[in-house]
Formats: sequence, C-alpha cells, structure tokens
Amino acid sequence: MVIADKQKKILTLLADGEFHSGSDLARALGVSRSAIWKQLNCLAESGLQHSAVSGKGYRLDKSLELLAQSEIYEVVNEQAKALISSFEIHDQINSTNSYLVECAHRGAPSGFICFAERQTAGKGRRGRQWVSPYGSNIYLSILWRYQQGGPAAISGLSLAVGIAVIRALKQHNINNIGLKWPNDIYSRGKKLGGILVEVSGESDGPCTAVIGLGLNLFLSETESEVIAQAWTDLSKITGQHKLFRNELAGTLLNHLLPVIAGFESVGIKAYLDEWRAYDCLAGRLVTILLADKQLKGTVEGINDTGMLLLKHADGSVQAYASGEVSFNSQSDESAG
Amino acid sequence: MDIRKIKKLIEIIEESGIAELEIKEGEEAIHIIRYSAAPAPAVYAPAAVTGNQAPAVVPEEEKIIGHIVKSPMVGTFYRSASPGAKVFTDIGQSVQVGDTLCIIEAMKILNQIEADKSGTITAILVENAEPVEYGQSLFIIE
Repeated sequence: MVIADKQKKILTLLADGEFHSGSDLARALGVSRSAIWKQLNCLAESGLQHSAVSGKGYRLDKSLELLAQSEIYEVVNEQAKALISSFEIHDQINSTNSYLVECAHRGAPSGFICFAERQTAGKGRRGRQWVSPYGSNIYLSILWRYQQGGPAAISGLSLAVGIAVIRALKQHNINNIGLKWPNDIYSRGKKLGGILVEVSGESDGPCTAVIGLGLNLFLSETESEVIAQAWTDLSKITGQHKLFRNELAGTLLNHLLPVIAGFESVGIKAYLDEWRAYDCLAGRLVTILLADKQLKGTVEGINDTGMLLLKHADGSVQAYASGEVSFNSQSDESAG
Repeated sequence: MDIRKIKKLIEIIEESGIAELEIKEGEEAIHIIRYSAAPAPAVYAPAAVTGNQAPAVVPEEEKIIGHIVKSPMVGTFYRSASPGAKVFTDIGQSVQVGDTLCIIEAMKILNQIEADKSGTITAILVENAEPVEYGQSLFIIE
C-alpha cells in the first residue's frame, strides 16, 4: 500500500472514528464522491476497514492516532531533545532500521530518529518478519555513533535498551511486563515488543549503532495470523483501545535517548540490577537453539556481562552470548 | 602450503593445547604460535563458552602471506544477513577495506565485521552459525 496524499487526507479526517459524509469528504479533498469511495476501498484492502451507513457516511472501524512530530515533541523533555539531530516520520518505509543503516553509510549524524506508520519489510532477528500494519503500533529506530572501543565497548547495549522501554511503559502505568533475554518485551508469557541493534564499524575504533524498536499497541487477528509465536499488544494488556501513540512515542524517546547516549560511559553494569528485576526467564526450564544444537537447562539469570547463564542437567553452568531461547512446555517440564 | 592444511593444523593445535608448532615441507615452512594477546576486556570475561584462545598463524618463508581477521567479540558467526540470503563474501572473492565480511551476533546486537585490509579471501575458518570466541581467527585475506 502506498499511502497517497489523498488517502492520508481521508485518514486524517476519519481518524476520530466518527461518521463523515461522503460529500463532506469529497469537498475537503476537492474530488468526487466516487473518488472518495474508491480511495476508501483501497484503504480497506490494506487493513484499514470502515463502515458505510446511508445517511451518515463513512466511519473507520478503529479510530486512529497518526504520528505527528509536534505532538511527540510536546512530551519530549529538554534533555532528550538536545540529543536529537534529525527527526523523520514516514507514512511507509521498508524498515526503519534498514533506512537508518543506509543513512549511516551516507554519513548521517548521531541522534537521527525515524518513526514509521507502516513498514513493508519490518524485520526481526535473522531475517524474521516484524508485522507492521499502518497507523497502530510503534516502529522506531535511532542512529547513534560511538567514538571508540568498537563493538566490544557497546556490548550489552541491547539489554540496556530493553530497560529503557520498560521504564517508558511503567510511566504509562503499564505493569505485568518483563524482559526475555536478551531484550524481548514480554507480558504474561507473550511477546509485546522486540529490539534489534545493528552495529557496524572498526573492530577497535568508532562504530555506529542503529537501535530498532517494534512495540505492539493494537494488532488485529488478521494482521497477526502470520506471527509464529505467542504475542500480545497494549490494548490486550490494558483492556482498552487507548489512543496515545504520540504520547508514548515521546516517553520512549525520553527514556531511550539518555540510555543510548550514555551507554559508552556507564556500560551494562549500570543496568544489571534493574534488568534482573524484570528477568522473566530466571528459574525457567528452556531450550537454547545454537547453530544446529539444542541445549536444555534451567536459566540462572544473566552474568555481569549480560550473557545468559544456563544450568545443564549435569549441574554445570555455562554463559551464552547468543542463541534462540524458547520456554519449555509443561509436558517437557514434567518429563525433565 | 594448502590453506586447508593450515586450517587443519590450527584446529589440531586448538584441541591439543600445545603452545607452538613449526613444520617444514620441502621449501615451505609454517610456524604457528598460540594467540596470547592482552586479556579480553572485562565485559567479555572468559566465563563464556570455552575460554580457549584461538591460535594465530605466523607463516614463515611462505609464498602466501595472509592477514587474519579476528573476532572482536564472543558471539555467533553468520556469513549472510539472513538465512538463505547471499553470503557476504566467499573464498576467492576480492574485498575492499570496509566491506562487510560477516555478522557476529551477541545478545541480539548484530555486528557487521568489516575487512580492515583489501585483498582476496583465501580462507574462512569458521562454519556458518557457529559460536566464536574473542580473538578467534575468522578470515584470511591475502
């Protein structure tokens, strides 16, 4: 779906979730009523459903709050604002992370922020898809340049970013949330958000990180059909379809930017206690998929460098820097 | 000397734990010394995986003089951006400084490892999706 200017205008008018007559819409856009009808059908095909009631007009099935820099900036504090060099909101983009990685190659400065209403190739780890429908979730990437020490100097940044997201959600009274190593945002055993950090640079010199966050606010059953794991969204957690995307986007920047900017000087140590308080894997029986090996064991938390500690059946404990962790089902637990 | 032989020798030394090895074959000679650089920074304390330091190859009187690209961290080695995607580089391909050679993933940070020397890739010393140690040899560029 390419959000044409006309479609964007219609969406802005219909965002309130109220009825708007076809002739009002046609007048506002300077087009015919049949053109409005056609554009609405295009939007419906891309997941933005509406109802049409004769005598009342059109109404979106789900009210929308489109992202706007002015509204986000009402929430962003001075400390965070000082760290922003560029700020972009895209109606549609392949992936906010891929875009900032490209921008970084072209010399874009530290503090480049990119939001999108929709991603056509939203991505997770190792080429996985991140379901990114229009206008309902948060897709955010931040570019940051670190001066020295190479990728080793920012080891553990991914865990600290998870803490920043938790802090932002807490500020909006969203509780029952935790972190699944290394940085998935979880609620009651289901994934609410994911973080992906892409780093390039010299092994012992300056390096550039693109930190991406995908956070589910509202996903419809149709949109989420392709998600292969247990997922949740904020509307399910809070029990209401609350519209506060701009406010949440601002709060996220308030918490993310200082953590990202200051990481080089404080390191993972500054976040270990807080991370452990939100660890939702500790004490759980899990399977780690590493290359073609499956390792079963009990999670003993994380070590001081942020690696996952796994206690094997023979009692030995090993630290892992990577690997796909999955909860073992109840039957596995009783068998093990 | 065949690069596969060198790779095999490195593997043998890694398993055995001996510090140094020198072999002469006709006019060719190879001298391998186990890597003993400064200890890894605290963030990569050797509690990880095996704690073995990878050996470095110091070829003597070799026609081929290789530049070794080492892993700057503990993590998982990937030769392509995603499963099924084209590999970043392969044996025999020429690379320029700054070209991406592989990705090492550690705690969901995907680190693009760039060539720090231009030349031709003559050896890839790690299998795709295998864990790697700090300082482990990954590629040889000539």
